[in-house]
Amino acid sequence: MFNDFDFEDPEFNERFEDVLNEMAAKCPVAHSKTGHGYKVINTYKDVKKAAQDWRTFSSAKGYMVNRPDGSPVILPEESDPPYHDKWRKALNPFFSPTAVAEFEDQIRTIANELIDKFADKGRCNFVSDFSAHLPGMVFFRCLMGVPESDLPELFEGIDKGTFGPIEERPQYFMKVNDYLAAYLEQRTKEEPRGDVVDVVNAGVDREDGTPAPWEDKVAIVLDLVFGGLATTTHAMTAAVNYLAQHDDVRKELHDNPDLVPQAVEEFVRLFAPVVAPARYVTQDTTLGDLELRAGDWIALNYAAVSRDPELVENPAVLDIHRKGTVHSAFGIGPHRCLGSHLARLELKVTLEEFLRRIPDFHLTEGTSAKTETSQLRTTTSLELTFGTATKG
Amino acid sequence: MKLTIDSGLCSGHGRCYSIAPDVYEPDDEGFADHRDVAREVLPGHEASAREGAQSCPEGAIEISED
Repeated sequence: MFNDFDFEDPEFNERFEDVLNEMAAKCPVAHSKTGHGYKVINTYKDVKKAAQDWRTFSSAKGYMVNRPDGSPVILPEESDPPYHDKWRKALNPFFSPTAVAEFEDQIRTIANELIDKFADKGRCNFVSDFSAHLPGMVFFRCLMGVPESDLPELFEGIDKGTFGPIEERPQYFMKVNDYLAAYLEQRTKEEPRGDVVDVVNAGVDREDGTPAPWEDKVAIVLDLVFGGLATTTHAMTAAVNYLAQHDDVRKELHDNPDLVPQAVEEFVRLFAPVVAPARYVTQDTTLGDLELRAGDWIALNYAAVSRDPELVENPAVLDIHRKGTVHSAFGIGPHRCLGSHLARLELKVTLEEFLRRIPDFHLTEGTSAKTETSQLRTTTSLELTFGTATKG
Repeated sequence: MKLTIDSGLCSGHGRCYSIAPDVYEPDDEGFADHRDVAREVLPGHEASAREGAQSCPEGAIEISED
């Protein structure tokens, strides 16, 4: 598998954790012949080196190892410094821990609004009833100030663009793109609100001193939406999936919510939504023992790095008592996930509220979480029944 | 004990000031504040400073024992 690796291989989706553990423990580099071919880098040492060296390992040709024609560009993710850093400098203040802390009460309200709809039913599909909605509601309400009446249509587009039939995804992706572009344009005609939309519309200068073009501003918002929503959906779903199957951990977190923040670190460490974004090699170089040439493609396997035995003791074990464990769930280097602090807060509040309202739940009999995996991982369905499972 | 935070490496993960708020603090962007200057760790906060430094995925924090 590691000499002819393919992110799209169904086996990778089905045996995700086992494959990652094997990669982290035994396979510093996996080789792929898919498309123009690529190497998957699996160790902390090498991934850290590449992720921090953006001059040699560029993001500007996209996060996919074999980019399909016509994929819309997302920024700042698919760009390099200095242009990348200019955008990040403008955006970072809206996503800092201090800034997102202001949203905590609103996130709690949203979580409870969603739980209210199924708390008395005895069961839910955690994805379609909760986790597919919360990140989007938080983002559009708290950060973007999109009119509430536009949300249903927007969510349908994001939902079908992310989880719908694969052949239909691009058209919904474009619908979301068009909506966001129209919203940005509408906001240029309104009084400034001092929010992130104003900052995107104000733009930054490119290297040559000319202002960022309109399409780049749309690409920024598109990145915030498609980079931030489904990833958070997956992280919270994977955490709840684990808790549904581990009564002892669930009870401990319910009885002691102070443990939730460090549990969140463990959940994102082991259940990575962003598996392995690509980098394009700009000049002949070596990475560990690997010889690379200009024009080669690599993927930085952040999901495997979080399980690197050099980095974490007993890496495959989920232990909510770990403190200060280093992991790469949010990436390494200048492209570190912009939304990491908001994601952590959403995960914390979700686990606190879900456990408070529904202390006991388990997988609905005969079902299991449905996942899709490539360079990203998503969960599309998680059926829960409330109460403790009857041991038959 | 002194610590130095390398601004070329700090990417705003925020692990240091989450784990050791007595030693590290965030700036407006969520990066560690007071970068690129060697500063003295106050007595009694050495273990905390080390924990914060070890939690950085970038290895951006250097600790030097006097």
